Amino acid sequence: MKRSLFRLTDVLELCIAYIFCFFLNVLFDYVKTLDLDSYILKTFLKDFIDYQPLVVLLFTFIVIVFHYQMLHRKNTEIFCRILVGDTVFNITIRYTLDCITILIFTYFLSVLANVYLNFNLTSNIYLVLIFIAYILISARQVRKHENF
Amino acid sequence: MKIFKFFISKIFLRKAILGISMILLLCMANYITFIAARSILSTFQGYQETKCINQEGNYIANLDPDSDIDIDAIGEDGTQVVYDYLNKNFNYAFYTDGFMASIPNINDMEISLSYMNEEYYKLNQFELSQGTDLDFDYQFDKEIPVLLGKGLSKTYPVGSTIKIEESVLDRPLTLKVQGILKQNAYHSNYYAPNSKTYYNFSILVPANEKFIHHANIDLQWNGLMDVTILETTKEKIADLSDVIEDNLGAKFNFFSQKENYDYFNEYYVHSLKIIAVITLALLVIITCLAIWNVLVSVRLMLKDFTINLLVGLSYSKLRKIFYSYFGILSFINLMVIFAFTASNRYGCWLRKDATFVTYGLFSLIGMDWLALLVVAFSDVVIGIIIVENMLREIKKVPISLGVLQ
Repeated sequence: MKRSLFRLTDVLELCIAYIFCFFLNVLFDYVKTLDLDSYILKTFLKDFIDYQPLVVLLFTFIVIVFHYQMLHRKNTEIFCRILVGDTVFNITIRYTLDCITILIFTYFLSVLANVYLNFNLTSNIYLVLIFIAYILISARQVRKHENF
Repeated sequence: MKIFKFFISKIFLRKAILGISMILLLCMANYITFIAARSILSTFQGYQETKCINQEGNYIANLDPDSDIDIDAIGEDGTQVVYDYLNKNFNYAFYTDGFMASIPNINDMEISLSYMNEEYYKLNQFELSQGTDLDFDYQFDKEIPVLLGKGLSKTYPVGSTIKIEESVLDRPLTLKVQGILKQNAYHSNYYAPNSKTYYNFSILVPANEKFIHHANIDLQWNGLMDVTILETTKEKIADLSDVIEDNLGAKFNFFSQKENYDYFNEYYVHSLKIIAVITLALLVIITCLAIWNVLVSVRLMLKDFTINLLVGLSYSKLRKIFYSYFGILSFINLMVIFAFTASNRYGCWLRKDATFVTYGLFSLIGMDWLALLVVAFSDVVIGIIIVENMLREIKKVPISLGVLQ
């Protein structure tokens, strides 16, 4: 963590963004299992459940915003690190590993929630793949900040 | 205008991801508000409609959910005994719908026939755009006067006749168009007031005593399901319930006005409260995310903002620019919700879903426009929260420091 681009607030922000997306998906799965008496509630919730993948996918945009702003804010830091002998390659690897560690941790939390609710453990896998794609794309952007 | 264009092209669009994420968050907020507003408005409309029937002294029938019935064992004799008893002892409002018929029409829709007696017709006060009210004193072996939905008015204008080969009387019928209903006339389900069927491609057929007497078991049995007994007492209703159980083997509950209102308050109001709470909670979450998004935007665009402030841009002008920018984002989202609703409504036309087809600008009905108005209002509230937060954040940073960033 010492040489990482992440500060505690950044870690918390990314954790919250991931947890929000994972738990939104779990919440949808939970709502699907509810045996509601009320037709009004059923039709209201159906309007969201029908679009579950789309709604969750749209909310994953907050993770894109996080990566985007993170790299822009760390522009100077990346440049300074390179000045004192660090390499873009190492910074990129550390950034990717940090993101993946946070992703694994939050995914583990969502798995726990799935186990507790007796849901399918693979229901959040597609989100992990999407987030990995975001991480890889943002990791490629690190080199853009090589020059101050 | 020039400075606004400059802000859009040189500042906001240069970091388009932040603008896109704001549009997506607003889109979610708008969709949630729209769905909730439409659910509440639709339930309220249904409730208003039920009020015509649900008056003091009236009892609405409902098949007991625990009642075991053998539909095949129910004969026409049994239902006829019940109707004879009803005719002799009560005034009742009879209504049943969903009887589909293949009647040629220019939109190639399958037509739904709804049957009602005079009491139901009087209670519901159907509004007509052409023609005259239904006449219940007719001979069904001649021409039966009917009302049509707007969608059939071109194919079958007032005065024309429609021949039906297969009917609930198990014989061909000749219907004479007496009047045309106003567009988007609807019927709400008593026990799901937010669920509606539209009469645009329906035929309202008057069902008098003789008609019901000669009708097949389907019409007689379905008619009993929602029959409303008018101006009666609890004791007489108990006797009716026994007659139905003895002859049909089915237990029917009859609910009074008070019981229906209690049910409404307990069941619907509770559901509406839950919808309101869910909507509010989601809106709060989305607003928090939107505030986070604008704080990120301010962090990344601070230098641009403060340079402009340094060269003479006032905070009030900056506020106007932010409100205009937010107005554009809200407008884009309103258009998205509008397009989504219009495509849903138009989908009913494509699927030939006759009971859900509606008329209006892009097939949107009054309820949709009202819900869009609520969405616009919620956008104004969210806009004020976001823009003021943005400005507060910018004002926190001294101009000189901001420029250096």
